[in-house]
Amino acid sequence: MRESDVAVVGAGPAGIGAALAAARNGVSVVLIDENSAVGGHLRWTLAPQTGFEPALDGLTGIEIAGWAAGALADAGVGVLTDSVAWGLFEENVLGVATPDASFRLRARAVVVATGSTDSVWPFPGWQLPGVMTATAALRAMHLDRVLPGFRCVVLGAGSLAEVVASDLTSCGAAVVLRAGNVDGLVAGGDGAVAWVESDGQRTACDAVILAFGRQPDAELALQAQAALAYSPNDGVFVPWRDETLATRLAGVYVAGDAGGVGTAARSYVEGLVAGAAASGGDGLTDALERLREIAADQVPDSPLPAIADATLVCRCEEVSAASIRTAINTGAISLNDIKRRTRAGMGICQGIYCHRTVAQMLSTETGIPLDTIVPMTARPPARLLSMAAMADLET
Amino acid sequence: MAQPATSRRIRVHPVLGEDLRRDVVAITVDGQPLPAFAGEPIAAALLAHGITAGRTMPETDAPRGYFCGVGRCPDCSMTVGGELNVRTCVTPVRDGMVIETQRGLGIWKVGG
Repeated sequence: MRESDVAVVGAGPAGIGAALAAARNGVSVVLIDENSAVGGHLRWTLAPQTGFEPALDGLTGIEIAGWAAGALADAGVGVLTDSVAWGLFEENVLGVATPDASFRLRARAVVVATGSTDSVWPFPGWQLPGVMTATAALRAMHLDRVLPGFRCVVLGAGSLAEVVASDLTSCGAAVVLRAGNVDGLVAGGDGAVAWVESDGQRTACDAVILAFGRQPDAELALQAQAALAYSPNDGVFVPWRDETLATRLAGVYVAGDAGGVGTAARSYVEGLVAGAAASGGDGLTDALERLREIAADQVPDSPLPAIADATLVCRCEEVSAASIRTAINTGAISLNDIKRRTRAGMGICQGIYCHRTVAQMLSTETGIPLDTIVPMTARPPARLLSMAAMADLET
Repeated sequence: MAQPATSRRIRVHPVLGEDLRRDVVAITVDGQPLPAFAGEPIAAALLAHGITAGRTMPETDAPRGYFCGVGRCPDCSMTVGGELNVRTCVTPVRDGMVIETQRGLGIWKVGG
């Protein structure tokens, strides 16, 4: 068993803030991230940022990610990249797999800063190659320097869709169609997406980008059975948090998008709050004051579209809307019921790309209010893990 | 008016500037040799060549490809160097990699 005063999971804006705030209080800090560098979404964010630190105002997300790597090193934070924290167990023990080790890490405090995942809505043909999330498209352009396609369709009505469309155009792709929602939309093609059809109009394309917004992803806190609260802004349950972003689990904090989606700068400041609170409290008053000045700002995305029976809802396990409706019509009244009957949510993505759709379908079909439909049970491992990582777990 | 692009590579990025990577290596995709940058995700190298499909699904045999871009979904998984279910969006290219489209859950080559 390895030990640390504070363990922070996720090195996006919130995790960076939390690790820096905790390190300032002189405690040992480990920061774990599954990517090859720190920064999270900042690594492919071109927009100038404000609200991190005054000296950083106007820098792009990419530049701030670069700053963070240096700041974390200077602060003495132990950064583990290419590493996953796959479970959160009793007494704040994390299961961690790095490229060369597999171990348990016990921390006095754990900050879950695992961010958010793309919100998606299903439509016929959305499983075709060439259809991808906004994150996949932005990452391809700004980190890997590859166009998602030459003729792109961008779906979504909010600021994320604006960013994606504008970035595609400036990188040299054509945005051939934009639609705020997927009602009546069909995508088709032989082996890969080649067209979308909407209102009887067919548009040729080679990429379709799903840019509906983002959803909180706090799986580790869910695994540990933190008390939850419905977030109307996000349309899903998130861990309940007090003013210092502490959950009801002793020593477990949730900071940033994982607790409710907001701007990158807000996530960073939430990180400062949680990191200070998790390391003895110095700096907490200032951080809380900064947080109070930032309004939560995500606008809820479009409601559930009409979903045809043949539409695939769960991509991983290939479960259609018809199967989910059959489960509901034969008595399923919870997400866990539907999961057991259909396998929706049981696949590699752990339900992150279907649970909202399934919850909305359950609510629509039965009248059960969305704010009473609790998440599917989350169990370790939170990420794909090799059998070798389990076999090699240090004692 | 700008000329239509012919490669998916963004040689000169509007904000990041010119692509200075020069470390080109050779990979093989379903038997076809292709150039790629060392260290870029396999999925990015494939996308640059217009290859969007990486696998078929176990139940429906339908093709899938690069979808989430962050290693969360199974869609870009391919067989790499004989290893099944390698998520190509988070696996870096190395020189000489042999990459194959994966049918369903693939077939382990025992002792291979």
